[in-house]
Amino acid sequence: MNDKLDRQTLQKHLAQLPLTHPERRAAVVPLMQSLQAERGHLDDRGVEEVAQVTGLSTTEVEELATFYSLIYRHPAGRHVLRVCDSLCCSLQGADRLLQAAEQYSGVSLGKISPDGAFSILPSICLGLCDQAPAALLDGEAVGPLNEAALQVLLRRLQEVD
Amino acid sequence: MEAVLTRHIEANAPLDLEAYRSVGGYRSLDAAFARKPEEIIEIVEAANLRGRGGAGFSCGLKWRLRDADAPRPRYLVCNIDESEPGTFKDRYLLYGGPHQIIEAVIVSAYALQAEKAVIFVRGEYGKGGHGLHRAIKEAEMAGLVGSNICGSGFDLQMEVHISGGRYICGEETAMLNAIEGLRPNPRHKMPRPSVKGLWQHPTTTNNVETLVNVPHILLNGADWFRALGINSGCGPKLFCVSGMVHQPGLFELPCGTPARELIFEHAGGLAEGRTLLGFIPGGASTAFLLPEHLDVPMDFDPVAKAGSRLGTASIIVLDDTTCPVQVTLNLMRFFARESCGFCTPCRDGIPYLAQILATIASGEGRAEDLVLLEELSGIIALQSFCAFAPGAMIPLISSLQCFHDHYESHIDTGCCPFDAVNKSGA
Amino acid sequence: MGTMRIDGHDIPFQENDNILKAALAANIEIPYFCYHAALGSLGACRLCAVEVASVDPTQSPRVVMSCLEFARDGLNVSVSAAAARQVRQRVIEFLMINHPHDCPVCDEGGECHLQEMTVACGPPYRRYRGRKRTFTNQYLGPLVHHEMNRCITCYRCTRFYQDYALGDDLGSMRLRNEVYFGRFQDGPLTSPFAGNLVEICPTGVFTDAVFRQHFARVWDLETAPSICPHCSVGCNTLPGARDGTLRRMRNRFHPELNRWFICDRGRYGHQYSEHIDRPLTPRVRDEKVSYREALAAAAEQIKAARDKTSGLGSTREDLESNAMLQTLLNKLSGRFATFSDPQIETATVAAVAALQSSGGAPSLAEIEQADAALVVGDLTAHAPMMDLALRQAYRAGAKLAILHSGPSLLARFAATTLTVPPQEISAHLLRLHEQATAAPTAPTAPAPSNKHEKELADIAVYLTAAQRPVLIGVSETMAVPEIAAMVQLATALGSRAKLAYALPGANTYGTILLTPTTSTTAMLEAIESGQIQTLIVIGNDPLGDARLGTRWRAARRHLSTLIVLDCVATATAEAADILLPVAAWAERGGTFVNYEGRAQGFAPVFQRTEPLPNTVEVLADLAHCLELALPDAAAVLSNLFPGYQAPLPGTLGSALSAPPLTMQTGTTIGPASSAHPGHWQVALASWYGDDPLASYAPALMELAPAAAALIHPTAAFKEGIEDKKQVRLRGPAGTVVLPVQLNNDVAAGTIALSRVTLTQLGVGHGDLLELEHIS
Ligand SMILES: Cc1cc2nc3c(=O)[nH]c(=O)nc-3n(C[C@H](O)[C@H](O)[C@H](O)COP(=O)(O)O)c2cc1C
Ligand code: SF4
Ligand code: FES
Repeated sequence: MNDKLDRQTLQKHLAQLPLTHPERRAAVVPLMQSLQAERGHLDDRGVEEVAQVTGLSTTEVEELATFYSLIYRHPAGRHVLRVCDSLCCSLQGADRLLQAAEQYSGVSLGKISPDGAFSILPSICLGLCDQAPAALLDGEAVGPLNEAALQVLLRRLQEVD
Repeated sequence: MEAVLTRHIEANAPLDLEAYRSVGGYRSLDAAFARKPEEIIEIVEAANLRGRGGAGFSCGLKWRLRDADAPRPRYLVCNIDESEPGTFKDRYLLYGGPHQIIEAVIVSAYALQAEKAVIFVRGEYGKGGHGLHRAIKEAEMAGLVGSNICGSGFDLQMEVHISGGRYICGEETAMLNAIEGLRPNPRHKMPRPSVKGLWQHPTTTNNVETLVNVPHILLNGADWFRALGINSGCGPKLFCVSGMVHQPGLFELPCGTPARELIFEHAGGLAEGRTLLGFIPGGASTAFLLPEHLDVPMDFDPVAKAGSRLGTASIIVLDDTTCPVQVTLNLMRFFARESCGFCTPCRDGIPYLAQILATIASGEGRAEDLVLLEELSGIIALQSFCAFAPGAMIPLISSLQCFHDHYESHIDTGCCPFDAVNKSGA
Repeated sequence: MGTMRIDGHDIPFQENDNILKAALAANIEIPYFCYHAALGSLGACRLCAVEVASVDPTQSPRVVMSCLEFARDGLNVSVSAAAARQVRQRVIEFLMINHPHDCPVCDEGGECHLQEMTVACGPPYRRYRGRKRTFTNQYLGPLVHHEMNRCITCYRCTRFYQDYALGDDLGSMRLRNEVYFGRFQDGPLTSPFAGNLVEICPTGVFTDAVFRQHFARVWDLETAPSICPHCSVGCNTLPGARDGTLRRMRNRFHPELNRWFICDRGRYGHQYSEHIDRPLTPRVRDEKVSYREALAAAAEQIKAARDKTSGLGSTREDLESNAMLQTLLNKLSGRFATFSDPQIETATVAAVAALQSSGGAPSLAEIEQADAALVVGDLTAHAPMMDLALRQAYRAGAKLAILHSGPSLLARFAATTLTVPPQEISAHLLRLHEQATAAPTAPTAPAPSNKHEKELADIAVYLTAAQRPVLIGVSETMAVPEIAAMVQLATALGSRAKLAYALPGANTYGTILLTPTTSTTAMLEAIESGQIQTLIVIGNDPLGDARLGTRWRAARRHLSTLIVLDCVATATAEAADILLPVAAWAERGGTFVNYEGRAQGFAPVFQRTEPLPNTVEVLADLAHCLELALPDAAAVLSNLFPGYQAPLPGTLGSALSAPPLTMQTGTTIGPASSAHPGHWQVALASWYGDDPLASYAPALMELAPAAAALIHPTAAFKEGIEDKKQVRLRGPAGTVVLPVQLNNDVAAGTIALSRVTLTQLGVGHGDLLELEHIS
């Protein structure tokens, strides 16, 4: 267990508490999200901090952290590309796209590129079926994608950093 | 039909408060506050506004059936979790017009006399959620949200919850757990959320598309609303069309518009030389319809009569190059992946089905597998804890019926016929 | 409340019963996994499917989950219907998809609920052709072993651990068919009730890690109904032995006491009887001798000393042994006492007297029903299952008030916590009484500091408003005035209030009834003045006493012979001139009287390969050598207690009718109440694994908190003491250097110390101590 949160961090975290809710545990998801936004993933220290602010145990926070698909308990790349593999995108070639992404980058799905620049994750339907095959890059929609466009995208990610 | 719900939708460039007001936004607040809450509920019921979240339950009836003397605070939850494959209509509403949503939530909360509203946004729509949050702050500054709204004496706190991400969070009771910071497993049906919902207080949940109709109904009346639909349908409807069509997209059309018109006119039809294999009319958990159903009006009862559900009115089109076994396998993998893991049939049964389907799809299936699929899917559909697994079984059961020959040929030939076709074509 | 039909049988049900509960109560088997009588219905496993006929005959019957469906009058249910059977079969098939086929080597084999259900409803063969999913296990500490691949996701473990026992370090992680029950990180489970996972899990995910090390198949275990020897609650247990050694402990259902559970002290404390240093061979001085030789030597010494022989019984020895020792000493005209510390003796007498006159202590089931409770002391460490009962009351909305001096696990659930130094407890109780009665009663009581006035007023409000208030004191850390104050408070609350004390030993209540009052002081003085030359000690450790060990050790030099009968290697046993090892409780039968005054019999479970005599037998043999005629234990006891009948093992036990004891009021023993500048008060920081027997159980002891001086941060700051810095403590028996550990649950001006440290220092709870900084 790490030492107590310093006052400043605590204040920052407390600002995330939804005031309209009667219990602090309602802040767990927003807190996890904001820590992840800062650090790229929710690390063990983050779980401990969320626990401290909400008064839950680390295990109780972990129960939630491990349920959600958008909370990363393992390090992710600086950029995260979530490629949809659900029906509409799959009909438009998402499976080939995912394979190509692995082949092109040499990084398997869910892993980080050696330079830490990006990770590629398969995702359930992103609500971008009208742009299939689609992906979310750091939360921004990209699509329709094809293999060439994907290659350009991945190359740009490596160059930007 | 002139656009109603999407009229002021500007994809990714939504109107701010001032602009929205200048096109008539927030006018329904006066119309609402001038009426008793009960009257609004009556109007909504008379308009026959049916839930756009999937089940199509009458919105007015749901509101009327809540306990009017329920203890305070009461909650209204607006559902923008939209994760049903094929569905993207709520995304347009969220990214393109947050103030329309806020307005709808205010008048609906007033009708329900709910003093707290939570708008639940799927995590993948986080940017839209933040935009909505900013819009709420704008509305708060303008006295449209908060205490004594526009001098009406009505107080409403409104906040956005951005989900950590999971399809099951869209299920009403799982969503309540998610908001409370509990694991988002569904709750037991009793007591109902309308009695003990969020934080054990009375709670009403509606899909965002359902709610955005309410201001328009208030301003124009129930009759106007009913008249907007065609063939038995009522009101405007957001249709999503995707899959093997030229121009997938969102189309706001009269509820009751036939599928043929949607697929072939609005979505540009199929690629050159392709024929229609079938389509899913209402998102991943609805049954397949076949070419013979093209003229079925896309409205709740007619689609039900045709053997499927209007669901989220999200049409996924399959043409003759798509393997229905692969399609079904894709759906089962989706459901296996998103099962919350609470009850046995869903948690362990769906992956089992997916495994069987995978063997069939790859040509390693056995004849008895089809019997097994039927037997297992029946049990899973009937004996699971929440509506997730029954929803998951619908496309499987219907696929086995509609595309039985395809399953048999996979088993008989020991390969996927479409693989051969696609490969030789490529 | 009504009747329904299940497969043609009329079944009665109670209001709000579900079909499953009513069926099980009527001995009708409906298969289930996630339902548990203590945890209720969940509806997750879907195994309890039954068919229910519709009221409307044109409608076809429905298959429903019997655990989620209320029983209704006239309901027609079929368990055997083909549709219901098919659902159950599929559920088993689904569960077996990932469950390893490791039954031949699984610890749960033979008592596996999954195995039974699979045989009862399952498909005979496997159809699934895919791979099994696998998990990595966690290290959960020395008591519970984790084997996640066997999990069937019934959620019983977390529902017990979190919802029922209010622990927070075991949870449900992830989702889909990857739901994982474990901790945030590897590490020992922290709940005092964690061991119940072993029984609550319907398959082999959580198994007994201690049993595993010395495993036997359940069908090879010798068992017999027993009573837990580790505290005064008297939970019913089922020990299992094999090849002359005790292997494990399970709960045995008692409807008024422990019901489905026992605490970890009870489950793992039994390892004391297999401790590597357990005395097994009689010894005279430094020489190992035969039993006969040891007896002869003892008899010789007693004969030589004649009327200068006395005996010390024990609160952890059963009724029979204490009564026999007393009878023997009567014949020898010797003294008989049972405590090593007179202060604890008088407090215990007062507590038992209070229990006798208060209309009976509440059972655990009654404690669960309390709607408000006051706890004085650290209940978890002295009667863990009383704590678990209070947690149930708390879950149902009861308000708990805790008045204590050192760490207490229950404080987390308290509506009001008053952390005060030991010597201020009684003043607070008296003030609470004043508040509750709105009438000053004890003008001499010093007023507690004003800062607690509001809390006391709160407690008074909810105790007086309660319908079923319960007051529970930990007698070991209380003095007579505090016990008296609790009685006064209970009386003021009227007959709805129930009073209970956690007493310091499995048979304290029974032992006290045999003990002449203030016998310990008299005995010590008699030894010191040379009036006693031979002392027989059974199951007691005066030389290891925390407060009086030094005095006893000095007194021991006046004795010519110390004869000790025990099954653990205590300081006293080591110092014995003649040591007679005796059978541990599972190796013999006997009777314990619990905190309620309920006498419960325990049966001999097994024999060691080289059996040891039990205490009663040794005393009888000794009498024989002395040519004294001793009646047997049953005769002695029926002589002592009118109408006494030995309670049969496996029954609910019976109240012991005994003449009332009198509380020694106005006693001068007890902590002084004036402040001593430069001194700290001592509070006993005990823990749930800590009793004279369980402290010889190695696995449990791995969890014992590290020795430290616990001090409140404010008090530490005022004195310039820093966390983790060493301090020197000076007590009558010696000095000890310990690291400081800041702890918010310690009272101001108080140092909380472990039992071991107290013994090293020669101080008891409430005594004073000097602390020196080490630069
Ligand atoms: C597994 C599952 C997922 C669901 N997901 C959504 C969703 O993403 N959005 C939604 O509005 N309703 C969803 N629903 C339906 C909701 O539970 C609820 O019925 C709906 O929000 C009610 O709104 P309505 O009456 O306005 O349609 C889902 C239901 C289930 C069983
Ligand atoms: S059907 Fe069962 S496992 Fe599936 S989502 Fe619902 S509760 Fe969870
Ligand atoms: S016991 Fe009924 S569903 Fe598990």
